[in-house]
Amino acid sequence: MILSGWESVFFWIFSIAAIFAGLLTVMARNTIHSALFLISSLVSVAALFVLLQAEFIAGVQILVYVGGVMVLFLFVIMLVNVGSEERGNEEIFNRPRQVTASVIFCGLLVAVLIGALNTGYAGFERRDETKLHESAQARRTRDQDLATSATGASRITNDTSRIGNSLYRFASLPFEIASVLLLVAIIGSVMLARTLKQEASVDDVDPEVLRTEAAQDPELAEVQTEPVT
Amino acid sequence: MFKVFMPAFALLFQEAANPGRFTIAWEKAQHPDLSKFLIIGALLFIIGVAGVLTRRNIIVIFMSIELILNAANLNFIAMSRYLQDTGNVNAVAGQIFTVFVIVVAAAEAAIGLGIVIALYRNKETILIDEIDILKW
Repeated sequence: MILSGWESVFFWIFSIAAIFAGLLTVMARNTIHSALFLISSLVSVAALFVLLQAEFIAGVQILVYVGGVMVLFLFVIMLVNVGSEERGNEEIFNRPRQVTASVIFCGLLVAVLIGALNTGYAGFERRDETKLHESAQARRTRDQDLATSATGASRITNDTSRIGNSLYRFASLPFEIASVLLLVAIIGSVMLARTLKQEASVDDVDPEVLRTEAAQDPELAEVQTEPVT
Repeated sequence: MFKVFMPAFALLFQEAANPGRFTIAWEKAQHPDLSKFLIIGALLFIIGVAGVLTRRNIIVIFMSIELILNAANLNFIAMSRYLQDTGNVNAVAGQIFTVFVIVVAAAEAAIGLGIVIALYRNKETILIDEIDILKW
């Protein structure tokens, strides 16, 4: 999987962009800025997925993360961050001692991980050198037979069909479990974000609780209960 | 002044005469392999960890968790590609894992942000050092 030519140029561009955008996500003062930096980091990582010939995952990454999750994040930031302009220059990090300890910890992690990855990969490469060479040759001859894409710039890979096959053949049980998980998440987040007023309006709250709460909040007493169908 | 820069010049001339460490590093940089992708993944992971440990705003902490999961995805995809090249049988497994990681991340974000909204309604704050209901 050794990249070369323009691939390596794009690799450096996108990896540096991903790391800088990640750093700015952590360091930006304004929460909306850090959400936007996180979006650019995710898009850069999606470009790295394309370089690794995982086009389907790159598309999923952009559609689900950038199109779904980050829009949810931005909505919540706009709901919750009311009045952050008045509190403009308050501290965005924890206390200095906590920050120092965690930065030292992360620096040690960087040193150890980079050293370990370099030595570990050297062993990997020694083991698989002939195999890598052979498969690069095989891939080149196999890709000759694939159809050219509409732009004519590259060849259409069969990556997506292979993922679909394996997803429904080997991973169909986790796939179903994931659908149940998403259903639980939807219902759970709706339940969590509901107010007492909304619960009272569909008559979904204990009358005892409603009476004690209504004594403090006059708006709640006026809520008309609709009959549950 | 000259004495200070002399070793550097000597190193450059030596570099030009016979390719040493810098030339090898440049050659390696022109052909990124698996280890480069893993290092990028590790750096993104550590940036995420630093964000979780240092920030006060709970939404930024959630975004750092997304960054951590994304670094794991990058490692999965890079390893999957490497296994495809070494002729492994079920080498697409890494990409399938990535799909599930993205699903779990979406579910986690939905639940977490629901909790944040409920918390803001009751406590009027999203700074984690002011959320100390469980501490006494």
